Amino acid sequence: MTPLPRGPRRPRADWLRSSALVGALLTAAAAAPPRLAGQVGRITYEAFSLPNGLRVVYAIDHTTPVVTVDLWYYVGARNEQPGRGGFAHLFEHLMFEGSAHVKKSAHFQWIERAGGTLNGSTHDDYTNYYETVPSNRLNLALWLEADRMRSLTVTQANLENQRATVKEEKRLRVDNQPYAPTFRDGVTWAFDSASCFAYAHPGIGTMGDLDAAQLADVQAFLATYYAPNNATLAVVGDFRPAELRRLVNQYFADIPRHPAPPPVRCDFRFSPGTLRRAVTDAHATLPALLRFYRLPPHADVDTPALTLLTTILGEGESSRLNVGVARRAAAAEETGVFRLEDRRGPGVLVAYGIANQGVSAERLDSLIAPELDSVRRGGVTADELTRAQNQFRASFVHGRETTLGRAEALQHYGLFHASVAEVNSDLERYLAVSTADLARVARQYLDPANAVVVLVRPQPAAPAPAGAP
Amino acid sequence: MRTRAWIPTLLLAAAPLFSLDAQGFPSQPPRPTRLSPVRFPPVPEATLPNGLELAVIERHEQPVVSMTLSFRAGSSVDPAGKEGLSALVAELLSKGAASRNAEQIAAAIEGAGGSLAATSEEDFLTVAVDALSDQVPLAFELLGDVTRHSTFPASELELARMRAVSALTLELSQPAAVAGRFFAAELYGRHPYGRSPTRESYQRISRDDVTQFAAQRLRPGGALLVVAGDVTEAQARDLVHQAFADWHGAPPHSTAPAAPPAKPATDILLVHRPGSAQSHIVVGNTTIGPADPTYYPARVATQVLGGGADARLFQILREQRGWTYGAYAALHRYRGLGYWDATAEVRTDVTDSALAELLEQVDRIRTTTIPDSEVAAAKGYLVGSFPRTIETANQIATQVATAKLLGLGDDYLRRYRERLSAVTARAAQAAAGRLYRRRALTIVVVGDAARITDRLQAIAPVRLIDLEGHPLTAAELRPLGASSARPVLDTAQFAAHRDSSRVWLQGKVVGFLVAEVRRAGDSLVYAEHSNLGNGALDQLATVLLDPADGAVRQVDQVIRRPTLTADTHVSYGGGRVHGHSAAPQEDGTVKRYAIDTAVPPGTMDESAVPFVVAALPLAPGKVFTLNFFAPLENAQRVLTFRVSGPDTLTVAAGTYRAYRVDGTGSLVPSTRYVSTETPRRVLKTEFLGQPFVVELVK
Repeated sequence: MTPLPRGPRRPRADWLRSSALVGALLTAAAAAPPRLAGQVGRITYEAFSLPNGLRVVYAIDHTTPVVTVDLWYYVGARNEQPGRGGFAHLFEHLMFEGSAHVKKSAHFQWIERAGGTLNGSTHDDYTNYYETVPSNRLNLALWLEADRMRSLTVTQANLENQRATVKEEKRLRVDNQPYAPTFRDGVTWAFDSASCFAYAHPGIGTMGDLDAAQLADVQAFLATYYAPNNATLAVVGDFRPAELRRLVNQYFADIPRHPAPPPVRCDFRFSPGTLRRAVTDAHATLPALLRFYRLPPHADVDTPALTLLTTILGEGESSRLNVGVARRAAAAEETGVFRLEDRRGPGVLVAYGIANQGVSAERLDSLIAPELDSVRRGGVTADELTRAQNQFRASFVHGRETTLGRAEALQHYGLFHASVAEVNSDLERYLAVSTADLARVARQYLDPANAVVVLVRPQPAAPAPAGAP
Repeated sequence: MRTRAWIPTLLLAAAPLFSLDAQGFPSQPPRPTRLSPVRFPPVPEATLPNGLELAVIERHEQPVVSMTLSFRAGSSVDPAGKEGLSALVAELLSKGAASRNAEQIAAAIEGAGGSLAATSEEDFLTVAVDALSDQVPLAFELLGDVTRHSTFPASELELARMRAVSALTLELSQPAAVAGRFFAAELYGRHPYGRSPTRESYQRISRDDVTQFAAQRLRPGGALLVVAGDVTEAQARDLVHQAFADWHGAPPHSTAPAAPPAKPATDILLVHRPGSAQSHIVVGNTTIGPADPTYYPARVATQVLGGGADARLFQILREQRGWTYGAYAALHRYRGLGYWDATAEVRTDVTDSALAELLEQVDRIRTTTIPDSEVAAAKGYLVGSFPRTIETANQIATQVATAKLLGLGDDYLRRYRERLSAVTARAAQAAAGRLYRRRALTIVVVGDAARITDRLQAIAPVRLIDLEGHPLTAAELRPLGASSARPVLDTAQFAAHRDSSRVWLQGKVVGFLVAEVRRAGDSLVYAEHSNLGNGALDQLATVLLDPADGAVRQVDQVIRRPTLTADTHVSYGGGRVHGHSAAPQEDGTVKRYAIDTAVPPGTMDESAVPFVVAALPLAPGKVFTLNFFAPLENAQRVLTFRVSGPDTLTVAAGTYRAYRVDGTGSLVPSTRYVSTETPRRVLKTEFLGQPFVVELVK
């Protein structure tokens, strides 16, 4: 009854890890990887706006009788004020507590009984809510979103309930997890609180700030940010445009617009000088190394090169960090590179490693830093670039296979790019990146003076009192 | 994206009403509009001259192609004694072929942005390849290469074997997996669906077995290749001919499998897992073949019974009673005879109640009318969620392959929703009545038999076995891995000393603990006195030990609370422990045991754990597995201690070099920090998931 017991989840490219001949990978007399080209992942869309400012973008697809309704509100951690960190996330929770015509928890039940799925998430620059339902329930999904946009139930009881839930979530996912608090803090250390509070504080908030939230704050937040003129509705799937327009007008058109939210400002500098920190982690059993580098906003011309650089340095079994640090030096249990980059403001590249037993954080850094440096000094090979481009292209296409994937793509380009139209032209930028581009962005952004270097040491959690008798 | 854990409150009974005002915002959710048909593209299929069945689903919306090649070479054709062979063959197919070694295969497919993997389950071995459509020729070439020309290097076999054994070891520490293995064996007996791999079966598999299995069974006759995505049927045929030219043959004819045993009556197979904090319950029986139309009403009934958070088992066992994190029911289909099961993992002390309730719910759905609202909710979910399962090329390929391999009929996918929608409440109830064999159910419980055997016997006859499957009698509940070796303690640690510690709870001192080792007459004494909350709980344990080797002779324990005193007194000797114990319960009562049971030689008393931990021959990396008896539960435990360090540790009493000893196997895993110098002292104790810390002050 049980299939072959598989070990802990491993990434698909795990065959590479299994072979002792992995060094042969880089020198194997294999054919150069194919150069893939062509127009892929094209989305045909239309857009319109309501008088109250709600933008609607939609794409028709009758292949499968499903539809995704995906609503982005342009509010996230970046909009929070000092003393009110964690609000956007707290508010996301409150959005599921019921509205004028929907009882608490009923939103979920309606969707599940229709055979749909739903979720929501809070990001730095936006908060999204989506449902994927059979196409004959488009009206239900739109109605539920409209009811909570127009008449969310905001009570002291709901606030208390969700405040406690969010604090538990913080304990479970951050406070009680190894490395998580350091990661959450580390991405903010690249920025200065006074000049860029937006990205200089953690989106999960602090217990103090969460405790300080008052009902009046919640109502003010709602009024400022949860408004039709501060949102875009993306609908993708099996429906008729006329039906969508009719429903959107019926459900959303009479929701009043609110004053435009205040703008957010972020002033920062690249390469102000290396910042070093050492922290102790109550839950970690192994040392770790985190390096944070400031990146330009997502819309910047260098983003494609930075994306491919990330793949070459730290994604997958054949990445430089995995081969050099995890396999050959056997110094890391896990290592990689990823970016926080869906922001209108500056992003962050994170290179990390979790040390093997007996390896210190310092030693780990002495291995990771040169790998990052290797691209600055020697660039990348044409093969590495081609493989990275192929991997990007595949993930680009797979990301658009579902109605949800396409809805999210339309939303992404609507917020982070100059025009939604780039949803169909952006891939070309990635395929046009050269090895020279990669060397240049590595020299520029992986400059040691642009790094926040954090050494993490494990320390047991103990309420060890100072000077106890 | 974060997933949410939803806890539904009240069932919404009302059906949606018509909108009150067609112009304004409706105060009720709108009704469903007409259900769109699922448009399935035609699936041209052909059986090629060599016997390979090819099905192509053209879908040009996205430039991706997904292929699955399935052989009737699943675990059910593993030779007896070599269970796991099919799985190893699957694992090895991509580890080297005629034209490329393992790294080159990986580089080729990954570098083209695709993926390739082979898996094996009961009926089939499947090779799956995904690629962007302009890489389809490469994908076919690799598929052909690994299927027909795998080289199965010996080094790769050893690596795969080692990982399989490690994964199995991990799996066998998980009650759900243990329950599943025994359940399969109970349902199917000597039928191949009842077998599972073991460490021994993996070890018996030779490279010849692997190459022979592949050579004999990975043949076009009876195999199915499904290609879905951005490729035309003509292209697919061409590429199949190129990749699989000169590929002939069919697998050897399999002998008919042994029939599953007929079960005369319901009984409980109780698998003793000493010290288990929860019991894992599985209930079910074999059902029908895959093409039996009873599937549809049975599927609806099973959804009502246990399909998810909205279903009866979850609502009652979890939401109402709080006995479990989740309880579910499911129907399972094989190429041969399928089965259904209901599962729950529950707190040990409510095992019998939960099982009784579960059986009550099985009775109820068979014998009472299912309300229309529940039928509607179940059908709503099953019908509604179907289109989401065929959005991508990969999903389509999998669904089409499953329908064909199980022989579900050519119109299965096309008519799935319609057939489900037609199920009535009466038909669902009748299907439950027919399929859930209440008078001949197989029940497997994995849990601490010492605590639950008697109460389970009130529900159905109990057969008691250990984790290896050996029968046990109630009197001899031996823990797994009981060895006859006494733990060898370091007698230098028996030197007298006295350690005072404080007990902290979230930054505040809430009590003290004093531990002492001393000689008294011809005994070594370990005494531990703890007091919490200024007398809210006062506990004194005195353990008499043999000074020669630290073997326990006698234990006295007094637990005092404001309203009660509980005494425990047990003696060890002659391979037995006897006496009496009294354990205060959370509800204020005291549970008393008369103790008289056999224990393996070298069994220690649980009160002596801190003494034993400090006296073990500690060294970094060492693992000790020891037998303990817990008088307060009248149960035996196997505790495992893992040593790491030494590291520097600062506690109130000072700074020390200390080993870290992690203990598992008791109700609450613990970590103790023990000083390295003799006599070793327990410097600090932490309890997993609990806010208490005990720290040495003097």
